[in-house]
Amino acid sequence: MTEHLFAWLDERLDLSELRAFVAEKSVPKHRHSVWYYMGGITLFLVGVQVATGILLLLYYRPSAGEAYESVKFIVSQVQFGWLIRNVHSWSANLLILMAFVHLFSTFFLRAYRKPRELTWITGVLLLFVMMGFGFSGYLLPWNELAFFATKVGTGIAGAIPFVGDFMVRFLRGGDDVTGATLTRFYGIHVAILPAITTVLLGVHLLFIQRQGMSVPPSVEKREQAGEKIPQEPFFPNYVLHDVMWWYVALAVLAALALFLPWELGTKADAFAPVPAGIRPEWYFLAMFQTLKLIPSHVLGIEGEMLGVLGFSLAALLLLVMPFLDRGAAVGRPSKIITAAAVLTVLYLIIFTIYGYLAA
Amino acid sequence: MTVAKAGGHMTVAKGGRHIVACWLLAALALIAIPGLAAAQPAQVSGCETCHKEHPQPALSSPAKDFSATDVHRDRGFTCVDCHGGNPSETDKVRAKAPATGFKGKPSGQAVIAVCSRCHSDATLMRKYAPKQRVDQATEYATSVHGQQLAKGDTKVATCISCHGAHGIRLVSDAQSPVYAMNVAATCTKCHADPERMKGYTLPDGSALPTDQRAKYEKSVHHAAMVGKNDLSAPTCNDCHGNHGAAPPGVGAVANVCGTCHSVFATKFALSTHSQIFDRGCVECHSNHDITKPTDAMLGTDKTSVCGNCHSDGDNGFNAATSMRAEIEKLKTAIDRSHALVASAENAGMEMGEQSLTLREAANHLTLARTEMHTFDPKKVDTVLQAGLGLTSKVDAEGQTALAEVSFRKTGLSVSLGAILLVVVALALKVRSLKPRE
Repeated sequence: MTEHLFAWLDERLDLSELRAFVAEKSVPKHRHSVWYYMGGITLFLVGVQVATGILLLLYYRPSAGEAYESVKFIVSQVQFGWLIRNVHSWSANLLILMAFVHLFSTFFLRAYRKPRELTWITGVLLLFVMMGFGFSGYLLPWNELAFFATKVGTGIAGAIPFVGDFMVRFLRGGDDVTGATLTRFYGIHVAILPAITTVLLGVHLLFIQRQGMSVPPSVEKREQAGEKIPQEPFFPNYVLHDVMWWYVALAVLAALALFLPWELGTKADAFAPVPAGIRPEWYFLAMFQTLKLIPSHVLGIEGEMLGVLGFSLAALLLLVMPFLDRGAAVGRPSKIITAAAVLTVLYLIIFTIYGYLAA
Repeated sequence: MTVAKAGGHMTVAKGGRHIVACWLLAALALIAIPGLAAAQPAQVSGCETCHKEHPQPALSSPAKDFSATDVHRDRGFTCVDCHGGNPSETDKVRAKAPATGFKGKPSGQAVIAVCSRCHSDATLMRKYAPKQRVDQATEYATSVHGQQLAKGDTKVATCISCHGAHGIRLVSDAQSPVYAMNVAATCTKCHADPERMKGYTLPDGSALPTDQRAKYEKSVHHAAMVGKNDLSAPTCNDCHGNHGAAPPGVGAVANVCGTCHSVFATKFALSTHSQIFDRGCVECHSNHDITKPTDAMLGTDKTSVCGNCHSDGDNGFNAATSMRAEIEKLKTAIDRSHALVASAENAGMEMGEQSLTLREAANHLTLARTEMHTFDPKKVDTVLQAGLGLTSKVDAEGQTALAEVSFRKTGLSVSLGAILLVVVALALKVRSLKPRE
């Protein structure tokens, strides 16, 4: 049946090039190969998000008066609505986690080195977009915790020099978090960010296919020394391997949906006192906790502004890393950058845990 | 005759024409500036000049108190408005000469007369406190205090006993002795003093008790007033009246309690007990030491109050047993439903509607406790059955939710198993594939 279908298509579209590409494409196999699958898992979770997000769209109503009730309706009345919402919420978190794992594995394997600078840049931009998805999606159920966390989160934008006030009003659609903010976040979450993701992801995947998988500098040295590095056929070996990991991710999602259903909380009330333990999603927690610890003024500069500038600088450095670590392209990766990256990972883990406990 | 005027006073007396002229001028000056009369604080009168420095505390403290804080002083009244006399006279004999209308220290009926001269004058009071009643003296005359005073008993309270004589504050002033939170202390200055109360009796001839405050402080009303700062909670004057203070008579208690507890009073009025209970609500709830009512008061065991009158086998005994049992049934049902809802919520089910329904069921429990004051088991049962209907509905929905949880767990476990089987199959398949040479 499949052969018949392929022959039918081949007769009309001439798929010989595709056939040759699939038959010839291979992936290097070495002791670091497992990290290749992190990108695949992240991609799979993006697919889960798109599928479950579209299903949620069928019932979700983006207004302050109806958002909470519509999510409540989804989880209590809609057939399997609870499952879709649970999977969407958990998958969002797993997606960001896997994007971080993918980013740092790529970083430590120095996969960003020439000629893959643009693949790295699109990847880092995708991570930022994913965090934007998380931030905008967090508010959509319009519950108390999300409402106040968004108030705090959008307020931080006010610390950006010169354009801070404008940014706050731009993000909120007014001076405060209201129904206008919800509608705005909804638009960003379901239209603007997906459009950006489609372009970035398309370019990211195109570059990977065009350039093939990067091998770590140590493997590259062995290759240059004449050693033959084993290759794994892309189809079916690598694809099946990838699919296996997707199933593992699906199993984790199913287990989380089963044992830890995502709470809806109480409806947001702008006039209610700020509840105790307000904190953003875990992936913003390290930044949030750092901003809390910075003194109000450092060397005459406002502490929060200094923090926001610091994080912006860190994001910029991450984005242009291939151009900072030029030695990596010739097999001499910077030890200072490696040490800074290790410290960054430790900082993110410790401050995330600290922020979780402090809240 | 002395007529109170803000900012001064007007005295008409033989031989005092020049003084009259002075005060007339002063009064005309005030009338000529509209609005000033009420707002202008009083100037220090001649009385205060001497009395403040007087070596005898009894004569100096009134002047000091009056000049510190006093609602009358703030509105322009001076010593002569109550005491008479001529403050412009430097010689104390001439200042207190009979021709000046000097009254000295009023006591007994004279106090009522002095205060009511202004406070019973609707025209005058409209100028200073238009919402204030002007029947205090009339009410006082009907009070036990007023009646005793009319009989010549000078130990009883008059206006100044409660409000103070000098340094009088507004009732709304938290430092006033008649501020809601201070009333119990003010009344019991006398009423908790056994020596002072000696000889006074209740209408039934028994000695007037002096433990009212001690009892009141154990009550739910005192807890609300002091513990929750609820100024609407009753204190002495809310039940006994203030100016017309008297113990509520037989038949009036239900009306007194019903001022606030109107629904209970209405239900009670329909009951057979309203015809039997001499002391109305007090029969079961007591008066000064009213504690928070509990379901234990209803029934026939030792903690109940029904057993005080009813005995095994009579209609009241059976009714009390039945009402208590039905109330307990709804309480148990609500507790059980709450546990079920909590269990489903913990499992991740949305049970908001059911929680609201349980609140409605709890309202029925409250309604049943209210309806109980008709002492009619049928009426109580009607309300309770409605509540039980709600808990049954919640129980059914809770069971459905738990069944759904079970179904989800089974379904997801099976799915999880299937997924893991695919993972194992894929792992085996991948292992069997050979790498490209």
